[in-house]
Amino acid sequence: MRDSFAALHPAVTFGYFVSMIACSMLVMHPVAQAIALAGAFSYSVLAKGAKALRFNLFYLLPMLLIMAVMNPAFNHQGVTILFYLKSGNPVTLESILYGVAAAVMFITVILWFSCYNAVMTSDKFIYLFGRVIPALSLVLSMVLRFVPRYIVQIKAISYAQRSIGRDMSQGSLWRRARNGIHILSIMTTWALENGMETADSMKSRGYGLPGRTSFSIFRFDRRDGILLAIMAVLAFTMGAGMMLGTVSMRFFPSLKLAPVTGWSGAVYAAYALLCMLPVMINLQEAWKWKRIESKM
Amino acid sequence: MEAYRIENVSFSYPQTERKALDGLDFTIGSGQFVTLCGQSGSGKSTLLRQFKTILTPHGKRDGIIYFQGEPLSVIDQRRQASEIGFVQQNPDNQIVTDKVWHELAFGLESLGCDQRTIRLRVAEMASFFGIQAWFHKRVAELSGGQKQLLNLAGVMAMQPSVLVLDEPTSQLDPIAAQEFLETLRRINRDFGTTIILSEHRLEEVLPLTERLIVMDQGRIIADAPPVQAGAVLAGLNHPMFTAMPAAMQIAAALQPSSHEAYPLTINEGRSWIGNWMNGKTVGELPQSADEEASEARIVVELKGIWFRYERAAPDTIKDLSLTIREGEWYCIVGGNGTGKTTALSLIGGTLIPYRGKVLVNGKDIQKQGLKERFHRNLGLLPQNPQHLFLKKTVELDLAEMLFDSGLSKEEQQRKVEEVIALTELKDVRFMHPYDLSGGEQQRAALAKILLMEPQIILLDEPTKGLDAFFKEKLADIMVKLTQQGVTIVMVSHDIEFCAKHADTCALFFDGDVVTTNRTRDFFAGNSFYTTAANRMARHLCREAITMEDVIRLCRSSH
Repeated sequence: MRDSFAALHPAVTFGYFVSMIACSMLVMHPVAQAIALAGAFSYSVLAKGAKALRFNLFYLLPMLLIMAVMNPAFNHQGVTILFYLKSGNPVTLESILYGVAAAVMFITVILWFSCYNAVMTSDKFIYLFGRVIPALSLVLSMVLRFVPRYIVQIKAISYAQRSIGRDMSQGSLWRRARNGIHILSIMTTWALENGMETADSMKSRGYGLPGRTSFSIFRFDRRDGILLAIMAVLAFTMGAGMMLGTVSMRFFPSLKLAPVTGWSGAVYAAYALLCMLPVMINLQEAWKWKRIESKM
Repeated sequence: MEAYRIENVSFSYPQTERKALDGLDFTIGSGQFVTLCGQSGSGKSTLLRQFKTILTPHGKRDGIIYFQGEPLSVIDQRRQASEIGFVQQNPDNQIVTDKVWHELAFGLESLGCDQRTIRLRVAEMASFFGIQAWFHKRVAELSGGQKQLLNLAGVMAMQPSVLVLDEPTSQLDPIAAQEFLETLRRINRDFGTTIILSEHRLEEVLPLTERLIVMDQGRIIADAPPVQAGAVLAGLNHPMFTAMPAAMQIAAALQPSSHEAYPLTINEGRSWIGNWMNGKTVGELPQSADEEASEARIVVELKGIWFRYERAAPDTIKDLSLTIREGEWYCIVGGNGTGKTTALSLIGGTLIPYRGKVLVNGKDIQKQGLKERFHRNLGLLPQNPQHLFLKKTVELDLAEMLFDSGLSKEEQQRKVEEVIALTELKDVRFMHPYDLSGGEQQRAALAKILLMEPQIILLDEPTKGLDAFFKEKLADIMVKLTQQGVTIVMVSHDIEFCAKHADTCALFFDGDVVTTNRTRDFFAGNSFYTTAANRMARHLCREAITMEDVIRLCRSSH
């Protein structure tokens, strides 16, 4: 399906992911973690569909379990001793819970990154950083053009060599090494020679004239502004909560949770809204479409 | 108003005596569609590159070039960049960025246009060229034809008054080439953009051309509308005349004096032949001896081959079976993406079918070892000959093929000499392979393959980008090889070449051979997929497939 959160201006989405990843890495409080995990999980499934669901269940879930089990095996801090291992080391409640919390944090960050990857395509990244350093945007764009192109070319050369019996996969070990070097050598010559034409094409279209501008297809509209403001308010609330210790959590030597108060309730609500923002935007739009379609 | 005025221009490259351009003197009017032709090395590219100072190669130049009345050398780079568009041969090499929309904007970014202007111009270009559908795509996903259209659009976005194009269609398949030329015609007609184009696919481009300039050794030998220019060439008995459209060549052979009325298109050719034959009885083509079905040994046999590139991908080859006999020249023709090249790789053993068998000399190719497969057996010439070149000179490059052959130095040298003589590379043996022209590179690559002494040669579009002269040279070598009993399997888009030289042709469609036959019967049996000469004369005799056939047929009619 179409992801309407991804259609926002790159600055908005980039800012969103940066703050989400930072928050999930810094906060270990179970309520905040649960909120972040729920938000990241639901958005990854929404943005990438069944493939993400399968990845989450088959890779992330076992990883979570393994990490939770591994921590108490090596970490023996904490005051609540449950039992002793054969080696004589204690297994503590604190280390088990810390293991779980660390694993959840790790997985939440991975989930946010996978969403980031799906949403922040190369051209958005180039656009954002091209504004900071204009020359960089063209260089990045050219890298993205030439790296895949060279890979295709290496394959073609290797293929041509294979059809005369001189590929990396043919002959004795010594022959293979020699063939490999030959393929690289052919590739280098090819790249230099053909690069001349690219240079001509750039020069011919005025590259190198002073006053180059950078064009993009992205526009920052009113909706982007409103969403950015909402995000800023929510993130600020969460940030204040983090600074004031409202959402902090201590594991060692003994467990200590920040108490739940009216203020902390407000912080969690803000965090929950923030984490669920992409999902809510998508749901809202889906609902809107339903209504439009029912009228048509 | 004139676009260019060239006054007594000569040019020679550094360290050479020979003049690449020799005393050229002509003007190009604004809004003209000019086609430049000539054999490889006649100075076409050198001339085109004089039209924009930033692309002019190093060397010594005399004379003055005026652009819109001012000397080109005093026009600033910004104006040249925007007013003079340049499109080169290779679609891939000209693309700089990774996205279609970015590529369209590249030139405008260089000129320093603001967002609003760029957005408008890019939108205009995308609409004019029909690019909307792939506007957001990565350039790597485009076909060759689309890439070249994108290059043209990227240049047009800068609103040039002159377009200079150096063999822009030579790397495209016939359908994409046609589309590209059609777009050029629209640009010329709708915007009055001056077009200066070098080309060797004259059959398609001449009907669009108002002025044909023919070059030979740095000089202009004909400069007139296509029909008159053709007449001049015919009068000179110049080798370039063999590159002219079939209709013109047939008319010139049958009635040399009818200069002014030479036909250009197939339709004109058809009526010209109709007039010529008026009241005559249609003669007969003599049956030549080589057209009987051959009983030679089968060397390549494909039995029910199925192939796909990935497990989940659709089948590229579907139940393909074919047999190729010893000493035969076998051509596989057909449209783009029908699996021709894949079939060739399957015969060569570089791809493995998931069902069916490929037998080479009666033995499964996949069960043959390296030595057995590549020594005195198979040789595959890849589409891009540059993928084979390794050394600094052609001669060293050839010698490299034999480094582990176990032959003595003298023996190796003798073999290299032999193959240089056969492929006529004598003049270029000390040059870097990349400095050769397309046709010479093709022959140098072929020479490398020949050093493996293959009995079966597989060729992937060997005539791509070659001019008529180099094609004939290649054909001569092939004929010599088949006479020695070598089998040739060739994949091609070039039906004129196949009709003229192949023994057997097979039409590939949707992963399978639809029809195979002796070349003459093959083309006689097709109504659309056939040569220009055949289309002109098939209402008289279906078996006349080449120009020579049609000429012979007409001469024997009384």
